[in-house]
Amino acid sequence: MLGMAASTLRAWEDRYGVISPARSEGSQRLYSRDQVEQLRFIKSQLEKGASAADAHRLLAQELAAGHATAAREANGDDRHLVLLADRDSYAADLAEYFLRTEGYEVVTALDATQAKVQFGERSPDVVLLDLLISGGAGFRLLGEFVAAGSARVIAVSAIDSAEEAMRSGASAFLQKPLEPLVLVSTVRDLLGTSALAGLARRTVQSTP
Amino acid sequence: MTGRLPSGNGRLDEILNGGLLRNAINLIVGVPGSGKTILSQQFVFHNAGAKNRALYLSTLSEPLDKILRYGQTLKFFDQAAVRDGHIVYEDLGQVLGEHGLDDVLETIDRYLKEVRPAIVVFDSFRAFHALAADVMSFRRFLYGLTRRLTASATTSIWNAPYSRMQALDEAEFAVADAIVALDIKQLAEREVRVLQVLKLRGSRYQTGEHAYRISEEGFNVFPRLADAQDHSRYELSTKRVATGIKALDDLLGEGGYWSGASTLIAGPSGIGKTLMGLHFLFHGADHGEPGILATFQENESQLARIVKSFGWSLDNKNIHVLSRSLVDMYIDEWVYELLDLVKASGAKRIVIDSLPDLMTTAADPVRFREWMFSLSQRCARAGISLMMVVEVPDLFQLRRISEHGISHLTDNVVLLQYVQEGPELARALTVLKTRAMRHRPVVHRYDITDEGFVLGDVLSVTR
Repeated sequence: MLGMAASTLRAWEDRYGVISPARSEGSQRLYSRDQVEQLRFIKSQLEKGASAADAHRLLAQELAAGHATAAREANGDDRHLVLLADRDSYAADLAEYFLRTEGYEVVTALDATQAKVQFGERSPDVVLLDLLISGGAGFRLLGEFVAAGSARVIAVSAIDSAEEAMRSGASAFLQKPLEPLVLVSTVRDLLGTSALAGLARRTVQSTP
Repeated sequence: MTGRLPSGNGRLDEILNGGLLRNAINLIVGVPGSGKTILSQQFVFHNAGAKNRALYLSTLSEPLDKILRYGQTLKFFDQAAVRDGHIVYEDLGQVLGEHGLDDVLETIDRYLKEVRPAIVVFDSFRAFHALAADVMSFRRFLYGLTRRLTASATTSIWNAPYSRMQALDEAEFAVADAIVALDIKQLAEREVRVLQVLKLRGSRYQTGEHAYRISEEGFNVFPRLADAQDHSRYELSTKRVATGIKALDDLLGEGGYWSGASTLIAGPSGIGKTLMGLHFLFHGADHGEPGILATFQENESQLARIVKSFGWSLDNKNIHVLSRSLVDMYIDEWVYELLDLVKASGAKRIVIDSLPDLMTTAADPVRFREWMFSLSQRCARAGISLMMVVEVPDLFQLRRISEHGISHLTDNVVLLQYVQEGPELARALTVLKTRAMRHRPVVHRYDITDEGFVLGDVLSVTR
């Protein structure tokens, strides 16, 4: 279904228990129209790089919040993109998840080279940049990203480097570990809008 | 360096210089029954809220329902906080039992995303130890867990039933940022609960063992009174005032003693030490100096009778009695009762009746001296005069004052003793030591009359 193997769907059903189809008399799985939409949501999340576990978590949250997944997905392309450049994969994973639940699209880089490539290819709206990435290359990257002028940069570090970061043009500084609420509200404030706002505003924002 | 997670018990937070370390790994180790679960829950309930959710994970040592059943008897246990999801109790036992350590990490990942806890408690952490196939796999697990907790804005509390010695050898010790040890010590036939900070990264803390008690209010800790020598100058009293003990005032001359001084009164049973203390207190009370009688001996009605026979009353608003049985008493618990009363009453005079009673509640003579030094320093700095009563066994010919060197710490030492004059026993008073006052160590006869202590002739004592 939707180009996904039946065995995969069965495994997800057992593992996450979010999409549980009814059974026919012959024990065939019967997916409702809503459930098909939900699978479509999962698929699109996977395509955006979320793990299967996170995709199901996001779906469960959407359902709990009473969102119709289909309607929300229709706006998908207009979402703001956040580039997460963090040397710590666990920290990146958590931040990615917290931003995704708020409707942001996220791309992750675990070293300076990856970050530069992603920045060039994806032109994110916001960059969350660990200053200590790749042995302290973050400061150089900060300068480059700020100079490019296309994105707002949030500098993060385990060490309090607020002053230096702001002097180098960062829009905000957050000390690690990042608290979910602070992270999300900082990104939201910088974009000056909710994550689901239209593409038009995004264009205005990125042309200084 | 980092923020703090307070316990809600002000004195425990003082020991910890503010509390446990926020966004860090805090270990609470202690023998079974020392209160690890209660202390963990105290931290949780004191700090959890809508924006600071707490996750309490039980492992294999105790079923979650049992933790909850006992937990709810504690005053701070707030059912609303549990109902509203500010505090989430979960049982990791099942995951552990069925799948072992790898699935624990995956479960933690899930909780970090779904619950987003600001505080995570593992009760107890030792279960992970037991389940690891070997040392390497435990280390791998420990590293994986530490990385996850470090990446998230989470303060974690790990409980483990280790003794203080064991704790030092375990791998958890190395990754922990703070370690608080709880222990139950045997003192003669008494049990004393003690809390000790073994590690507090990047922060000072109050060293040594601190007694504590557990009640339905949770932990109540009594930091050991051990003030480091304070070299900062303080204003020495320039005022000499009457002690109110006539015989002593006459001997000291020039208006009395330096207020804020400490005085040791030593003498055998029945010679009038307690009475001397009362004269000291009531004289102060009549001259606007509130006083405290800290006693372990007289019961209140007995005391009231003595007081009444001198025309005084315990209802005097400037007189406060701190009466405490020695049974199961902690010396540091008592001293905070005293200091609290000093604060509440504005006391300027304190009589401790008696010092040997207090000594029996201290762990050892060295500790007692340290304690006494701290207390007398505090009193001196606050301009509070301290009078301490010591009973000596010898009726005549005193050979030594068994006060474990406390006389070195006091400003004045007054000796009361009996002397034989023909068939009669006379009472005699000698000022053995005064600090910063001229005196002659002469043996004077004294009498106790309605006037109080009245000085008599100089006696020539035969040896």
